[in-house]
Amino acid sequence: MNETFVISLLLGSLAAMVPIALTSIGAVISERAGVVNIGYEGILMLSAFFGAIFAELANNGWVGLLGGALTGLVIGMIHGVITVYLKGDHVIPGIGINLIGYGGVAFGILAYWGTAGQHQVAPSAQIKPLWMDAFGNSLSPMVPITIAIAFIAWWMLFKTPFGLRIRAVGENPEAADALGINVELYRFTAVLIASALAGVAGAYLSVDWLGTVTKTIAAGRGFIALANMVFSGWNPIIALGGAFLFGFFDNFAIYIQNNPWLAGTIPWQFIATLPYVVTLVVVAGIIGRARPPKWDGRPYKRE
Amino acid sequence: MEERTPVLEMRDIVKIYPDGTKALKGVTIKVYEGEILGLLGENGAGKTTLMKILFGMLKPTKGRIFLRGKEVRFKSPADAIANGIGMVHQHFTLVEVFNALENIILGMEGHGLFSKIDVENARKKLQKLMDELNFQVPLDVPVEKLPVGTQQRIEILKMLYRNVDILILDEPTAVLTPIEVKELFAVLRKLKAQGKTIIFISHKLNEVMEITDRVTVIRKGQVVGTVKTSEATPQLLARMMVGRDVVLRIEKPPKEPGEVVFRVENLWVKGDRGEEAVRGLTFEVRAGEIFGIAGVEGNGQSELIEAITGLRKVEKGKIYLKGVDITGKKPRDLYDMGVAHIPEDRTHMGLILEMTVMENAILGMHWRKEFSKDLGLINWAKVEEHSNRLIKEFEIVAPGTKAPVKSLSGGNQQKLIVAREVSKKPEFIIAAQPTRGVDVASTEYIRNYLVKLRNENKAVLLVSADLDEVLQLSDRMAIMYEGQFMGIVKPDEVTEEQIGLMMGGVKA
Repeated sequence: MNETFVISLLLGSLAAMVPIALTSIGAVISERAGVVNIGYEGILMLSAFFGAIFAELANNGWVGLLGGALTGLVIGMIHGVITVYLKGDHVIPGIGINLIGYGGVAFGILAYWGTAGQHQVAPSAQIKPLWMDAFGNSLSPMVPITIAIAFIAWWMLFKTPFGLRIRAVGENPEAADALGINVELYRFTAVLIASALAGVAGAYLSVDWLGTVTKTIAAGRGFIALANMVFSGWNPIIALGGAFLFGFFDNFAIYIQNNPWLAGTIPWQFIATLPYVVTLVVVAGIIGRARPPKWDGRPYKRE
Repeated sequence: MEERTPVLEMRDIVKIYPDGTKALKGVTIKVYEGEILGLLGENGAGKTTLMKILFGMLKPTKGRIFLRGKEVRFKSPADAIANGIGMVHQHFTLVEVFNALENIILGMEGHGLFSKIDVENARKKLQKLMDELNFQVPLDVPVEKLPVGTQQRIEILKMLYRNVDILILDEPTAVLTPIEVKELFAVLRKLKAQGKTIIFISHKLNEVMEITDRVTVIRKGQVVGTVKTSEATPQLLARMMVGRDVVLRIEKPPKEPGEVVFRVENLWVKGDRGEEAVRGLTFEVRAGEIFGIAGVEGNGQSELIEAITGLRKVEKGKIYLKGVDITGKKPRDLYDMGVAHIPEDRTHMGLILEMTVMENAILGMHWRKEFSKDLGLINWAKVEEHSNRLIKEFEIVAPGTKAPVKSLSGGNQQKLIVAREVSKKPEFIIAAQPTRGVDVASTEYIRNYLVKLRNENKAVLLVSADLDEVLQLSDRMAIMYEGQFMGIVKPDEVTEEQIGLMMGGVKA
């Protein structure tokens, strides 16, 4: 192990941390307010796709991220209206979003760019790294931004009136309602924040980290983010740590696969499961069993 | 004196629910500043409905509300609070994982939705409020870890923090221990001295007699009358409330107990947090005997019952039924051996509220041959017959066997449980808090029924936080404190003072 390898592993881990962290943090906020959404995978897919379109149209990666956030917001609005205002089921819309995500993007790439399954985002439309070395290792500005978002989200949830109310409507909406807190408004807002963050995460995949749109670009990260949220005990900062851990082993697995000696000994399929297994074991082991917000996933209707 | 304008008047309030139930049929009440008004009535009389209308939780079908002479109409509880009316519900509306401070300041945390909450300032304000009222609650502990009496004070503080001057308390003593009730009354008197107006909803005569200035009695959605407490007697109020004289005493002929039916030997049980909840209990219940267990709630009674009924692991010791060791047996085996269980929490353990009366009537017996057809299908005709028999025999007021149980009043739900358990033809009946939150008439019925079972030579184990109930029904009684019995006594050979001491942990 030399210095270059360590730097490469560290930067790779941080890059892989960003989408999972952003999605998990959003999910923490949404579920703290009592709204479950299993559609983050679909949001990642669609916002990666639309983010790339926005970025190429404006020839600017940041506009791509904004486009991703807008995509997330629109999907979040649909989910929020169904779950918060129409008191619908919290799981079903998410299934729909995921299905639309995979189907829509596979079709969209072909329809919009005319290529099948994959589109390379123009380099000029990608986010410029903060730092880069001769070996192609780079650090995205989204890394410090994501870390900042985790701490801001934590501070907001646990130190401000806004956060107190978010948590109150997720724990006991009746109590919040009786004190004049607009339960629906706070829940809806939380859903929007969550889906916008997932939208940024999706666009980050295409216009920053990977620089490409593929028909399976989310690759299960939306679901990993949900698991990470649970194991973080619904805490944004621990979710950030969990996301880094996943990113680290994700990169480590690639390193092992590229090492002929190790790859010959251990089947690559086994190594590929490493990030998933280790993240779950470590984060679950540290946090133990956390209790979800009491009204998580339950529509609130005044009697 | 009657010329004073009431601070609050509800005039001709009518409430008809969408399903056609007439909850209130033109109720008028007047509340004067600085008084404690008792709102007395049986469960289902409409007291809570009336107060929910006042508090903006329900819309009245008809009627007007005047506050300080001006007509008002509250769209939500928050609206009512803003107008100085606060309510403490029977079931608390607290965020369990929040501490007292967070629960109280929620919704009025101070300026700036995204600025840091000024915890110290809130703490100072609350401390001042608590000092004035002469009580303390821990502000930094999650409220779920606090006793119900403390949670109730937090609810009261929550309202006072919002500067309400009319406070509605819905059955505030239902969940309290006798000591906590005394403490609550002290707080209420303090509030009254500060000039607050209090509406005290209750169906307990002695409490209303003790704390209120005037009493308005409601029966079946109508006001029966209003009397000055100083001019009332419990007998008068009982007659107004029920519409007939209530037999406040239970007929209980003397009886020699028979052989030992149930026996517990050196029983140790752990609580939810791993603490020793039951610590080496030994006792027996004989045929034709009611053995009562009294004591302040949370002293291991629930864990004891759960261990006996097979719902909780026994750490050490033995439990025998008719000489057979039943330690660690499953609830179903126990049912088959002749144990019946009236659980302490009817809505969570006793009934499935969403299911119908007849489905609930066979819970725990649904596998029995008498209710099944070929291929293991349930014989619904038989079940219906069975439920109708129970409804008739136990005088349960229900819209029908196919109505959901949640549409029954608390008293009738409880009667259904008693009916079901008794229909299992048990030898040994465990009755936990059998009349909690139950109206006077049903209470009387259930208590008499327990005595009837005793007279039929059954063994009855009664566990209740209602001391009067234990004293009235038991042949022998034990007082439980921190997992142990402070003494086993005969109710007629002991003074209230002695029992009070034992409840406080002093051995007899």
